[in-house]
Amino acid sequence: MNTEERQLAEMLHRVTPEPPRRVTVEDIAFRLANEAGTREYRKPRGGRREYREPGTGRRGPRGRGPRNPGRPWHRGWAPALAAASVFVVAGVSAGAAALVSSHQGHHATSTADGPPPSSVSVSSTPSTGPSQPSASTGPTWPPEQVAGGTWGAQLINRQAFTPGSLAVAPDGSSLYAISQGYLDRINAVTGEVVNEVPYTSPIPGFPNRPVVAGTAVWVLTSYSGTNAVLAGYSLSTLAPAGTVTVPVSGQLPSQPQGVLAGGSDGNLYVAAGSSVAAVNPQTRQVTKRITVSGQVSSLAVAPGGGKVAVAVGAFQLKTYDLATGSQLSSSSMNFGGAGGNLIATSGGVWGTVGVGMTQRVWFAPNGDLSQVVMVSQGAGAGLYTVPTSGGGAVWLGGSHSLACANPDTGQVLARTAVPTDHSIVEYFGNVTVAGHGRTYALYQNQAAQQSGVATLVPPAVCSG
Amino acid sequence: MDGRPSEPDGFRDFVESRSNALLRSGWLLTGDWPSAEDLVQTALAAAWPRWDSLIRQDAPEVYVRKIMVNTFLRWRQRRWTGEIATGRLPELQAYGDAFAQIDARQALIAALDRLPARQRAVVVLRYFADQTEAQTAEAMGCSVGAVKAHASKALARLRDAPGLAELMTGGVAS
Repeated sequence: MNTEERQLAEMLHRVTPEPPRRVTVEDIAFRLANEAGTREYRKPRGGRREYREPGTGRRGPRGRGPRNPGRPWHRGWAPALAAASVFVVAGVSAGAAALVSSHQGHHATSTADGPPPSSVSVSSTPSTGPSQPSASTGPTWPPEQVAGGTWGAQLINRQAFTPGSLAVAPDGSSLYAISQGYLDRINAVTGEVVNEVPYTSPIPGFPNRPVVAGTAVWVLTSYSGTNAVLAGYSLSTLAPAGTVTVPVSGQLPSQPQGVLAGGSDGNLYVAAGSSVAAVNPQTRQVTKRITVSGQVSSLAVAPGGGKVAVAVGAFQLKTYDLATGSQLSSSSMNFGGAGGNLIATSGGVWGTVGVGMTQRVWFAPNGDLSQVVMVSQGAGAGLYTVPTSGGGAVWLGGSHSLACANPDTGQVLARTAVPTDHSIVEYFGNVTVAGHGRTYALYQNQAAQQSGVATLVPPAVCSG
Repeated sequence: MDGRPSEPDGFRDFVESRSNALLRSGWLLTGDWPSAEDLVQTALAAAWPRWDSLIRQDAPEVYVRKIMVNTFLRWRQRRWTGEIATGRLPELQAYGDAFAQIDARQALIAALDRLPARQRAVVVLRYFADQTEAQTAEAMGCSVGAVKAHASKALARLRDAPGLAELMTGGVAS
């Protein structure tokens, strides 16, 4: 080596940082297990996969079967099951969450002559610990136009997910959603569920969306007593990435709705009783705690990362400076219920109030409830009405209409009617926009017994 | 049946002792930790089933680095848009000299980003992994002459990269 080469070598060794974590044998083992599972499934005995109705051996109707024979039928919409199911919109259980419970479990045995189960090394773990992932592949169904093509809606996946649980990876390659007993990773192009990990929300009936931070997707695994526990799973495989236990100050609220949020600083923020805790997902440490007067039932971090908005009681909206922990504002609204499902945009804070049939969405300019505007009326859509933010707009779902709104002013920019199917309502909600602009929503049609992830092509005005 | 092969003898020791260096090489190749980790895991997963043979040849690290480089080159060839974790966390709290460290790392990655993939791989293998020209050629599946040519062109480009000359002649400690 000459002098210049030696200088380069020395500089590379000097400047290259130490990795934040090391690769472990367990990481490799999980990877191999997942790859083995995928290979195993891709070569099923008996060759070609066919979807057959359980118990009958008959081939099911096209487009009505499960998207994954590894989890045959039970996660799709079976007429017999649906007939026996109960779909409750109204009530404290916040409506459409009941959809998920109307379906049977995940890992049933394979159908008579269907392929073998695709799951690999699925283990049951304590509710507070990270679970092991399993990999699965299945047929990808051709996208199917739904709801009369509302905003170009096409169903790319046929599975029942918990409303309000859809999240997307930073690179837009994967979606994450909660189904009955599982956290799923979904191929954002094909709609195929490619990994799953056992997961049950510790707050049934209230939406707590998975949050993507760093290289992991985080969910609450415990939210009671003196601790809130988060578990992270790899964005690419759902392999466990770690857990974080957040001690609670005071008591946890009785109706937590959106108590885990991500900040633009890469941190996770958790409503921990009468405080907000900031968690560094990389070090898995609580790095900051902001004391709040009252129990925090929901929180959202402002886009710039400078402040956090919290809903307290029934209800006050307060904002705090994240750097100093000082309270910046406080206002209240008497609507007979707690505020929840907060999101913060450049123009203010959005959220819901009420549950079930009465749940509606509000917008508080600059986080001030004295100026509150109701942007959607109670539509009986339960969790499908939970507002989301992405792609330069705020999205409002429901059973009557799907709308996008200006994140600065709260003004609705475009709205489209969600049709009914033989007088039975259909639902759109949890609109999620990937970084590359592709737009997704959760969809459900009770009459056709269809549900799953749909792609949307909203009007240009929605993209700001 | 959990789908895993049994862990070969010596594999754990290798992973524990070498994953740090492999990850740093991965970071230089890809420019971010999630991709670096993916790269190292991919290589180690490929090495696992062949471990006994690699130990007999006394060449596990050469093999792992070869897989890393070839996987990296394949990603770049395909302009991979698949499932790579791309989340980049902001650097942790940085004060004083830490700012300079971050600047140095960013300058280094920016300079490496300017290199074609094969030149970048040669820089990492030759000057960071301290492999010989012959080992580098073997890992990349090319001739020693090609390695020399890539190295020469890479050095010329790096010479012109903003801020890198200062780093090479002194600069900030990691």
